Amino acid sequence: MIWLVMICSGIFTFGTRFVMLTKWVADGLPRWVIDALAFVPIAVLTAILVPAVLIDPSTQQIVVLENARFFAAVMATIVALLTRNVIATISSGLASLWIMQWWV
Amino acid sequence: MVPPLVPPAIQRNMGRFYHSYDHLPHSSHARHQCSRHATAEFWLGVRHELPLQLGVIPFGLVFGILGLASGLTGLQTILLSSILFGGASQVVFAQLWAAGVPPLVVGGSVGVVNLRHVLYSASMAQYLRHLPLRWRILLGYLLTDEAYAVSIKRFQDGPHSPYQHYHLLGSGVTLWVAWQASTIAGVIAGTTIPDSWSLSFAIPLTFIAVVAPSIRRRADLVACVVAATLSLICQPLPWKSWIMVAACGGVAAGWLTHYQTQKQDRITPDNDRGMS
Repeated sequence: MIWLVMICSGIFTFGTRFVMLTKWVADGLPRWVIDALAFVPIAVLTAILVPAVLIDPSTQQIVVLENARFFAAVMATIVALLTRNVIATISSGLASLWIMQWWV
Repeated sequence: MVPPLVPPAIQRNMGRFYHSYDHLPHSSHARHQCSRHATAEFWLGVRHELPLQLGVIPFGLVFGILGLASGLTGLQTILLSSILFGGASQVVFAQLWAAGVPPLVVGGSVGVVNLRHVLYSASMAQYLRHLPLRWRILLGYLLTDEAYAVSIKRFQDGPHSPYQHYHLLGSGVTLWVAWQASTIAGVIAGTTIPDSWSLSFAIPLTFIAVVAPSIRRRADLVACVVAATLSLICQPLPWKSWIMVAACGGVAAGWLTHYQTQKQDRITPDNDRGMS
């Protein structure tokens, strides 16, 4: 049973990735849709990352001030804006999280 | 950045131009040029994708551990990484399966979490639509958050090249290899990695690394703020559909701001850009 669900979910997921690349969809996208799609990277990635930072996994509540991940994310954002470097951003974020969790 | 406006006719011709190389006899000069440009694009994709693996590999390890902890076998955990090939949806799958949720709900939740790929697919369509079917199937399979994030940036920022789809191949293959390897490592390492390391936090950090520097216009900022707000407000929605609601809201808000800005620009006399 689990294999069936895995494979069906896999086929569906592939479908979500492929559907807009089929000829009849891809050739029919109007100009304004293409303009709007320029905002997809920012909108989707923000929608995933903000709850991952602000929502406490155990209580499902939004936690801002007593939340080490929030301050780590702020630190990572500052580093990202200053350096525009992926490795510096990820490592500064993880390092600030560890420092706050273990020493503060 | 607004993607470069290439009329469909020219784009189709570019595709024909490039594919005509495939029918030339080997050892021709044109063929050599073709493979050289393609290789360069592929390795550029690999190089752009590699830094993000600092976030992907810890998450793969975490998923390998979580899969076993949820009662999946090692083989199921590892194959889930190539069958689904989407980190967040794999976590949802493992957690719901462990909780004894009905299979249809497991599949449905995975589907809703992955619906965002429709948006990725749509925004890639204008760059990939001239490719033969086998290419579009392969690149579709490889179209994940992280590969999309770096390759769409390359496509939008240009310069346009008939071989640019090799960039997505490079970023996609890099992510695929890292994801499979780190899942296997997580299954083998098992519980030796303590929870307190918060390794799953590496993924939101990679997204920060991509999103923060890409906010350049007012419309980008609006898209970001609206998506963030909706993603928090819409948490109670069933089946994690808040991802899609927040994503679509952000896209719509960004586009409206962009449209307003352009309309204002058109009033000024020395403007030659129209919406057409």
